[in-house]
Amino acid sequence: MKTGDTLLTDDPRFIQQIEDLLADPSHQDNPLRGPLAALLEQNRNQQERMERLVRISDGYHSLSRNEVGTLSQRYDRQLRRIEKLSRISDRYQESMRQLNISLREAALHDPLTGMGNRRYLMDRLREEVERVLRNNHSFSLAILDIDHFKQVNDTFGHETGDQLLCELAHVIPATLREYDICGRWGGEEFLIIFPHTSIDDSREVSERIRSTIHQVTLPSIVEAHPISASFGLTEYHHGEGYSETIKRADDALYRAKELGRNRVEVG
Amino acid sequence: MKELNLPGTQSTPTVTGNWDAGLLSISGDSYPENSFEMFGDIIAWVEGYLADSDHPLRVDLRIVYMNTSSVRAMLDIFDLLEEAHQQGRDVTVNWYYDPRNERVVSLADEFKEDCSFTFNIAPEKAA
Repeated sequence: MKTGDTLLTDDPRFIQQIEDLLADPSHQDNPLRGPLAALLEQNRNQQERMERLVRISDGYHSLSRNEVGTLSQRYDRQLRRIEKLSRISDRYQESMRQLNISLREAALHDPLTGMGNRRYLMDRLREEVERVLRNNHSFSLAILDIDHFKQVNDTFGHETGDQLLCELAHVIPATLREYDICGRWGGEEFLIIFPHTSIDDSREVSERIRSTIHQVTLPSIVEAHPISASFGLTEYHHGEGYSETIKRADDALYRAKELGRNRVEVG
Repeated sequence: MKELNLPGTQSTPTVTGNWDAGLLSISGDSYPENSFEMFGDIIAWVEGYLADSDHPLRVDLRIVYMNTSSVRAMLDIFDLLEEAHQQGRDVTVNWYYDPRNERVVSLADEFKEDCSFTFNIAPEKAA
């Protein structure tokens, strides 16, 4: 059908030429005239049909193109949304995690001195007892109580009492060995765990702490009120619950107080 | 459905929708097991309100914690507001936060990101 690049029937001059020939009265009786007119008519019909077909096909094409465009737009939007959702959700999760950490901190630490609190110490004691049962070693435990703490509070005020507690919370751990555990047991009482340590060694460390405490001075406390602490020291006995160990340390502490304070008693 | 009244629980916020005032308030934490149920009511209210008239809509939020499905539902609500705003509707979101919890600001900022309507993030004034 094709001649070169253009269809012969697409050339309006060619069509015009045929139409002129058909209209020419001198060809009126030519036997080719009838079939040629029929061919031209058919060609015209086919041309129209072809154009309609192309129009419809183009319509479908652009419809589906639009649809693909919309879908990919929607996809992009959903993707951005999911990213945003996860970003926000991650932030909420992170803030919960932070809150969790600070609640845990708060639950296990004494707000005044920043030291581990009673709950913290009990956790450590439980661990220590389990370790002893596994390894067949022992550990020692000391409870120390600031002497005449009530007098400090009454004479110099509670603020000074708090300062003293904070000072000891700083001094005691600094005197301990790295692996010893210390915390605020209650009021003016501190508890020290000496892991894997005999009573003789822990007595030495306790004496060192006692003497360090005795050298503590606070500008708000006059020299007439020397600072000191009494110690009840004991060793964990195999098989017992840690509350029994604590009870023995407590009894020894009581004796240290009875015997004049500023001393270490072993129970 | 004109008024919306969802009393808060431990895991769901208090939600009130005042049709006549054109005001929706959501206050409290939101981490229900089934957020779609609760937020479905809120979304239906917003859709109903926006379709009913061309009055302005104000949304007051006082939310600290949201679980993921709540965040998703909240994004849906903001999408509705954005759509209405694109059509010329007067829409405002006020996100109030406790000044002691600045973390909420950056979270609210994330929500605000694609919103072209008025979106205020303001510290709650002391009562």
